Amino acid sequence: MATARPGWSRRAQYGLFFSFLAVVAGIIFGLILLVLSMVAPKTFEGVRGAALDVTGPVTSSLHAVTATVTGLVSGAGDYWDAASQNGELKRENRAMLRRMVEARAIAQENHQLKAALQLREHTPAAVASGRIVGSSFNSTRRFAILSVGTSDGVRVGMPVRSPDGLVGRIIDAGSLASRVLLVSDRANIVPARLLRGGIPVISQGRGDGTVDVRPLEVGRNPFKRGDIIITSGTGGLYPPLVPIARIVKLDDDGAVAVPLADPANTSFAIVEPPFEPLAVAADQPSAQPDTP
Amino acid sequence: MVRAALASPRRIGKGPALYAAYVPAVTVVVASLLSALPIVSTSGWYPDFGFLAFISWRLLRSDPWPAWWAAPLGFINDLFTGYPIGLSIALWSATMLALDLIDRRTMWRDYWIEWVLAAVLLAIDEWLQWRLAAVVGARVPFTMALPPIAIAICVFPFSAWLVSRIDAWRLGR
Repeated sequence: MATARPGWSRRAQYGLFFSFLAVVAGIIFGLILLVLSMVAPKTFEGVRGAALDVTGPVTSSLHAVTATVTGLVSGAGDYWDAASQNGELKRENRAMLRRMVEARAIAQENHQLKAALQLREHTPAAVASGRIVGSSFNSTRRFAILSVGTSDGVRVGMPVRSPDGLVGRIIDAGSLASRVLLVSDRANIVPARLLRGGIPVISQGRGDGTVDVRPLEVGRNPFKRGDIIITSGTGGLYPPLVPIARIVKLDDDGAVAVPLADPANTSFAIVEPPFEPLAVAADQPSAQPDTP
Repeated sequence: MVRAALASPRRIGKGPALYAAYVPAVTVVVASLLSALPIVSTSGWYPDFGFLAFISWRLLRSDPWPAWWAAPLGFINDLFTGYPIGLSIALWSATMLALDLIDRRTMWRDYWIEWVLAAVLLAIDEWLQWRLAAVVGARVPFTMALPPIAIAICVFPFSAWLVSRIDAWRLGR
């Protein structure tokens, strides 16, 4: 298609014309699919799940590798000073500290596992627990990839939390991995309340890792720096009393808060069934269009 | 001595790599698959690797793949990156068409023109993503889409260089 006319060959001219038609057909086909995925996001659930199954396990295993490497690198940075202070003990120090880094990593993982187990005792209905292994790092939407899927019982729409707080909800589920709409995504609106005083508020993501919180009742700004926002359970999707975020900055009619469950540092995320499945099912036809 | 100095550095028997015709498309798919990297970021500032590779190839050569391949390649990108399905199909096909039209009009090509073209295309890509996110309820200020545009534009020369190296390798030059 590069030149206006490929010569006198009829065959070449037709080939050029048909490739032009094929590209136009591609554009139209893409636009139709795009409109479909906007108005009826459920259409592509199957293929999206299959794509997650292709990349999910790869991401999980790569995540294990990078976690180990970053652990070793930060460990090396920690003991660099001590080693340079004493030349004689350098080698010994290094060997010991290497072991210590390993032990520290194991202890930390133990701690997180215990925290996760305790949570599961409080919420006996946990569906599955997995790791957050990836994210939508090349899009303004905030998604994360979770290493559990429908084979573990995960279904689209289930809330996801970590020992630290609310993570988000499932929007795509493959059989081995699933995609989570994080609380920091603009389309994720969580009914919440202020831990201090119980004032009902609404939390909405800002797309940059933080959330906007607004009071439901217009009037005085009820927020203070350091306040904790927890879920209220309204709407029936998210369970109540799960911490969401801590307020870091006030603005004129609300505040900016940072989610307590940082997806980058959350090792374990727990998928739970919708808090009140009947309420969610009743809302389904009207509440669905906000997923892509 | 003189003859040896004048001879081309090409080795005898070194030709195009096996499946050289499919190498460009494969590299685009690989670039799309980069979104499976285990990066957990709170800001989506990384470039759209698939599209970067796509326009790098298309700006380097007019025929890296048959024009209609843009649609399936875009579909693969949509699937793996989590964009709304159809975005890359339509955008990549339209890119093929637009660049063919531009190829007819431009009198000459140099690095600057290619970079400007790439910058415009990358900005359109990010703008479309931002616009479609707003349609499905994730309306964020457009200023948040500016850093990824700037980063993608800065990464393009590297991507173009990489693609030109791969092109030289696949053709055995």
